[in-house]
Amino acid sequence: MKNIFPIHIKKAALFILFASLTLILANPVFCQNVSVSATVNKNHLSLDDILQLSITVKGTQNTPPPKLPSLPDFRVVSAGTSSSTQYINTQRSVFITHNFKLTPMNTGTFVIGPVRVRTNGKTYSTQPISVEVQKPSSLEITENKTAFIETLLSNKKPYIGEQLVYTFRLFHRVDAKNLNLQLPFDKTWFYKEKLGEPKSFLQVINGMQYHVQELSMALFPLKIGRHKIPSTVIDLDLLHQTQSHSRRDPFSQFFNDPFGGRGTRSVHKILRSKPLSVKILPLPDGAPNGFGNLIGQFYISAKLGKNKLEVGDTTTLTVTVSGKGNVRDITLNEPTLTNSFKIYPDKPEFKQTVQNNQLTGKKTFKFALVPLTEGSRIVPKFALAYFDPTQSQYRVAETQAIALHVRPSAEKEELNLVQPGKPIVPSAKPKIQILGKDILPLYIELDKFQNNGINSFSPAFLGAGFGTPVIFFILSALLIKRKNRLKYDAAFYRRRNAYKISTQRLKQLSLHSKNIDPKEFGRALSEIIREHIGDKLNLQGKAITAGEVELRLKNSGNNIAKTTRQLLDRCEALQFAPLAFDRTKELLDETENLIKLLEKPA
Amino acid sequence: MRNSHSLPFVVVLFLALCSSLPSHASEYLKEVILANDLYSEKKYSESAQAYEALIQKGVHSGYLFYNLGNTYIRLGNKGAAILNYIRAQKLIPRDENLKANLRFAIQQTQDKIEPPPPGTLATIFFWSSNFNLSELVNLTMVLNFIFWVNLVLWMYFGSPILKIARNALVCFLLLSFISIGVKLIKITGSELGVVLAKRVEVRSGRAMDAITLFQLHEGALITITRDHESWLEVRLNNEQKGWVPKTSIGT
Repeated sequence: MKNIFPIHIKKAALFILFASLTLILANPVFCQNVSVSATVNKNHLSLDDILQLSITVKGTQNTPPPKLPSLPDFRVVSAGTSSSTQYINTQRSVFITHNFKLTPMNTGTFVIGPVRVRTNGKTYSTQPISVEVQKPSSLEITENKTAFIETLLSNKKPYIGEQLVYTFRLFHRVDAKNLNLQLPFDKTWFYKEKLGEPKSFLQVINGMQYHVQELSMALFPLKIGRHKIPSTVIDLDLLHQTQSHSRRDPFSQFFNDPFGGRGTRSVHKILRSKPLSVKILPLPDGAPNGFGNLIGQFYISAKLGKNKLEVGDTTTLTVTVSGKGNVRDITLNEPTLTNSFKIYPDKPEFKQTVQNNQLTGKKTFKFALVPLTEGSRIVPKFALAYFDPTQSQYRVAETQAIALHVRPSAEKEELNLVQPGKPIVPSAKPKIQILGKDILPLYIELDKFQNNGINSFSPAFLGAGFGTPVIFFILSALLIKRKNRLKYDAAFYRRRNAYKISTQRLKQLSLHSKNIDPKEFGRALSEIIREHIGDKLNLQGKAITAGEVELRLKNSGNNIAKTTRQLLDRCEALQFAPLAFDRTKELLDETENLIKLLEKPA
Repeated sequence: MRNSHSLPFVVVLFLALCSSLPSHASEYLKEVILANDLYSEKKYSESAQAYEALIQKGVHSGYLFYNLGNTYIRLGNKGAAILNYIRAQKLIPRDENLKANLRFAIQQTQDKIEPPPPGTLATIFFWSSNFNLSELVNLTMVLNFIFWVNLVLWMYFGSPILKIARNALVCFLLLSFISIGVKLIKITGSELGVVLAKRVEVRSGRAMDAITLFQLHEGALITITRDHESWLEVRLNNEQKGWVPKTSIGT
């Protein structure tokens, strides 16, 4: 077989193979056994302590997070991972540690069961660890603590639905950071509402000044019976001021407090309040009619926009309910004013406020009333039945009845449908009731049936309608063009008017031919002919000779040039050899014929 | 100026053509009165016959179709009523009573099918729906006349106002011509039909044994898309269409 690889490529391949094998063999995964161990920082602790659980995996660093067993008595928070590598006598070992913080929730002895870690296709388990959690020693609950918490309940024996105030207070003498509060809350027992923002103030206890952070919640019990509200737990970092103890060691001082002042030491603490017992009582018997599970203290008032109005006019009835308790849940029925008023209820407005660390509310109901009939009317009372837990008895709050007078409707263009500042009602007029539907009547006006007999789509009509204006335009355009030419073209004007002028002059000459001297007659006739030809050819007619006339006419293609010349010669001869009157008549006729011939196009 | 008398002559001729009345006008008006009286006397069948006879004689008035539609409503003949209202709508499209009665008649039908919405062109030239074809033609004629007269005046006087008027009139004239075109497309493009039979089965083919696709009832409005011998292809919407016997549909 022919060697196709050069020598230097072979050497390189061998080197890569050797290096890879070396690395693989050196890898601890291949040469070390994997082991998993679990450790805690203490086996005996109090409820104020935090247990640190560390799961260390030896032999590999590529492991998924360990699977912790169920720990219902602890709150578990991951505290990160750390890895390390050790070389002992050229033996390399790798470790990875998964850390957890366990906050005890109850006292007793608990087993932190085997923790499982799965790596390289195998599952490794740790040994179980037993820890004992005790109550904080009485020594710890001493006065002058750096920080502590307390919880208060406004009433340990509330009625179901009664508003309770649960108050949490954190007292601390040093700065506190990274607060993580867990308020106990069981949705099946209580409905809760926040009572404003947390408050912060200073309080002196046994001569020690504490910063106090207070948070309140309104709780509404939902079930009857005894209930234990569990401890409230807060974990936080307390920042203690520290004094430098080693002034001789400038380096340690620098590293502890690089700015040369006092240092701070952070101490992580868990503070726990005492559980609170509460006994929720049922409501006593004897609830009044209309009682709708309203518990608290309530007030109700009603007012009317105007007490005198007309039929079809509008007024607004405003009913306001306020007080401590579940105001949000209050509903009111429309006032019983059927047949005499049309009632348009508006959407109720609800406003909740916190007063004296109590949840109070105000709900406003508005009804637009439109009287349908005239007369004096009474808006009946509104009653609100509730249970007053402070007095442990049922009460009924009522409004006053309101009288109003409805006048007959006056003739008005527009009804006063809207009162200033009041909600807009859809319509003050009673709606027209549709009793039936039918077609609209026949058309009987005869002019609507007039058939003018013109078929709008006949070619004659369309042609006349659309063609006539076009014809009108063409004719008008020609007329305008002609008029403009006559106005501005002198030759055209002379040519167009030559016949008319010549015939008029001939007529005049004919009338006076008997009385006129033959010489003068010849001259006048010659002038008429020459001026006519001059007008026709746009020349000065009086100055033109018979020879020129013949020449011009010939040039213009006229075949009567010779005849015209002869007639002009005869007219000139007449000026020197007068003729009898009969011959003058003959000359006039010849001239008229000549002019007619000249008028015809050549 | 020998042609100066031509303009009055043309105007007189045009007006005479427009205002001429037929000699039989008074006769058919008597018949209209008679038909209306029969309706008032609740003799609806006779009234309908009288109106139909007038239409047969070539009297095409939107109000006549409207009255006939009313008469058919009284007779309980919803299909014929809607058909005549639709016919009337082509002639008197702006009549509010007609619109109300057509709505009423459609509400009386089982299928309650409203007239199809206008197409894109008809939506753009929306005003064309409010005029019948004759009105549009007459309007265009008047505009045409004004345009040419204005053109002559502008040529004669050369006023800038007349020039602006000329340009505006050209635009209006073009729009009115386009409106006529749109109207013609609408009229000739798709014909609206009304089911006259009590119930009609819309089939997949032109045979009585073809599959029944859906049923329509008297007064249902459909669009006729094809006409083949004794069958009509009708469309209800983009998806539902089929064939029905011609006799069951009125157009």
